[in-house]
Amino acid sequence: MTVTGAASFLGTNLVGLLEEDERVARIVAIDIKPPVTAQRKTRFYEVDFTQPTAEARLSEIFAAERTDTVVHLAFLASPSHGLAVAHELESVGTRHVLVAARHARLRKVVMWSQTTLYGADPSNPNFLTEKHPLRAPASEPFFADKIEAEAEAARFAQKVPGAIVTVLRTAPILGPTIHNYVTRYLSRKIVPTMMGFDPLLQFVHEIDAIAAFKLAIDRDHPGIFNIVADGVLPLSTVIKLAGRLAVPIPHPLAHTLGAALWLAHMSEAPASFMTHLRFLCVADGEKAKVKMGFRPAYTTREAVLDFTSAQRLRDVKLLQETPA
Amino acid sequence: MTTRTKKTTAAAAAKPKRATRAPAPPVSKEVPAKPQRKPKPKPKPKPEPKPERARRAAAAAPDADPSVVAQIRELEAQLDRLIDEASRHDVSSLDPEDAETWHGEPTFEPGDPVPSDPVPDVSEPSFDAEVTLPIASTTGTWPESGPGPASVGAGPGAGFGDGAGPAASPSYGAGAVPPAPESVFDTARELLSSDFYLRKWGRLAMRGRSEEVDDFGFDPIYDAKLKPVLDFLYDKYFRVETTGIASVPKTGRCLLVANHSGTLPLDGVMIKAAVKREGRDVRWLTEDFIYHMPYLGSAMNRLGAVRACQENAERLLANEQLVAVFPEGVKGIGKLFAQRYRLQRFGRGGFIKLCLRTGTPIVPVAVTGAEETNPLLFKIEHLSKALGVPYVPVTPTFPLLGPLGLLPAPTKWTIQFGEPLDLSSHGPSAADDEILVGKLAERVRATIQGMLDRNVGSRKSVFFG
Repeated sequence: MTVTGAASFLGTNLVGLLEEDERVARIVAIDIKPPVTAQRKTRFYEVDFTQPTAEARLSEIFAAERTDTVVHLAFLASPSHGLAVAHELESVGTRHVLVAARHARLRKVVMWSQTTLYGADPSNPNFLTEKHPLRAPASEPFFADKIEAEAEAARFAQKVPGAIVTVLRTAPILGPTIHNYVTRYLSRKIVPTMMGFDPLLQFVHEIDAIAAFKLAIDRDHPGIFNIVADGVLPLSTVIKLAGRLAVPIPHPLAHTLGAALWLAHMSEAPASFMTHLRFLCVADGEKAKVKMGFRPAYTTREAVLDFTSAQRLRDVKLLQETPA
Repeated sequence: MTTRTKKTTAAAAAKPKRATRAPAPPVSKEVPAKPQRKPKPKPKPKPEPKPERARRAAAAAPDADPSVVAQIRELEAQLDRLIDEASRHDVSSLDPEDAETWHGEPTFEPGDPVPSDPVPDVSEPSFDAEVTLPIASTTGTWPESGPGPASVGAGPGAGFGDGAGPAASPSYGAGAVPPAPESVFDTARELLSSDFYLRKWGRLAMRGRSEEVDDFGFDPIYDAKLKPVLDFLYDKYFRVETTGIASVPKTGRCLLVANHSGTLPLDGVMIKAAVKREGRDVRWLTEDFIYHMPYLGSAMNRLGAVRACQENAERLLANEQLVAVFPEGVKGIGKLFAQRYRLQRFGRGGFIKLCLRTGTPIVPVAVTGAEETNPLLFKIEHLSKALGVPYVPVTPTFPLLGPLGLLPAPTKWTIQFGEPLDLSSHGPSAADDEILVGKLAERVRATIQGMLDRNVGSRKSVFFG
């Protein structure tokens, strides 16, 4: 069992979960820093996917550890300003992992992807199934790199017929402990929205997201699955549940403003994410339920409330530390 | 539920604040405003060493009598508490004289090598009477605080536990210091802090909307809130007359196919209102440009509109819902007044394929009166491209009176529901037979056209029916 990106949120939690599973004899954690949950079963290797030698190194590790499954989580959860590194890590890094997996004849590859890759297109149906093409704007590296990584995985599944390739597309993950661009967006005191638009949003709770990966590791479920919570909520309701103030911005202005804020490092995501504040991007989780037996414990609303209660505690603490 | 949690967290957030601005004791009446700004004298370095010392002392005698240890603990807690109180007291209400006497106190001179000297050795079990509070006695504001035997005997557990936290202090609650009444300034401060408005906003925020919408965005509370408006439009404004509503099934999937008219898409809302009176919710499919129009689109969505596309319709019908479609689409609402009540092409027969695949009965619907609400005289082609809308309407009132010109004329409406059409005899495979689909679409179109012609012919006045 190998976990790449083991020090990420999903990686850390998954390593912790696998440590407790007696069916797993050894966990190989690969990242540029060790996961904090690593215990006696975990062996950590420092591999930088942005280095050209990563391929050979990974293949050596796979062979030496006689691993049969790789869980590939080395993706950025939030958009980054370091575009070159992000591209190397996500697109080229996935290539490294899959080449090494093919070389070491791994039995199974589980890869993380996101439903935001479907793109918030005005012509989207209310529920996007796994068959829907990934239409996120290719001009945005955050999406383009991940779409390339998915294409790599699809090519790998085609070239290596015996291998099981599972791609889990999670909705934006929300929960009490995770930090990503969505939680940062929702913990702003003033949350920008698009004037007159109130799209339906969908999240998945962090526990459900981790549980989905565990399911994909425990059983063989080849294919692509949307990992989403039940139910949707309008953006305005999400902001109100989070106790924040929405500031509507006219959408012709928003793109320019968003680009400027991103350039000034003052926003969570580049302007191309703004379509998500205007149009629908909701995935259909039926396939994961039927084929994988994935049962999300939290609905979208409960995930928002769970995140909100933790965020409120953080706010109160902040208030105590810096009294007005 | 949210508002309640909000309230409690707000209270939780406010509590520590109030604790820090401790109530002013009676002595400090002459104290001018803002006593907090006064330089804080001694006690800051003090709180740390004492309990630590006590702890060390307790640790140094591990084989001591457990009762002695308990007593030490108790005293330690008491000390903590007293120090805490004293420091708070100093911060909040120290007047200049007090500060002076304070500095004049020999035991607390800055040059004193051992600042904790006045405190007797804590390891001695029998000292509780001597734990005089230098701080309290100096300021003289607490005649019977702390060291009284009653508060010592209050129970070791409680005293220890409470004393540990700086916010909650038992003797404070016991009434040694009477809490100052809420002054006008407190209220004003509360009102002026931005947090107050945020909290109020939070309480009001979820009013008029549900915490959960259904999968397609229908919000029952929002719907109930807007019901009076729809009822007004239905009963008073358009005086809608509905016939043949019995052909709409009470349960199970069904597709209402209606003509589309009237520049503004009000016919969907009126069909919804008509069916709602029979106790069913209808989901109607709207074209993109309405669905993505600011404000209007999201409001329609909360009322039950869904973006028109094959996947959505299939999913709704699979959920046994009642779905209304307008196969004419934008061509229907954007047709000129001269073409009124002439049905446009029925798309590509998508709705027929849908019904064939899912085995759904069709109920044709004819809406009369909507064509005259905003008679469309011209469409400005160039502007529509620039604005990104399918047409810019020119009605007798629209650009002339500004946005007010878009108000619909109060025409008399009739909505006629025709006989249901069952397509299940053709089977799902017939959806691939384009010729049959075309024929069936034409049949539905002819039925609705016939109903329209009859209704338009039989009415005497556009406004009075």
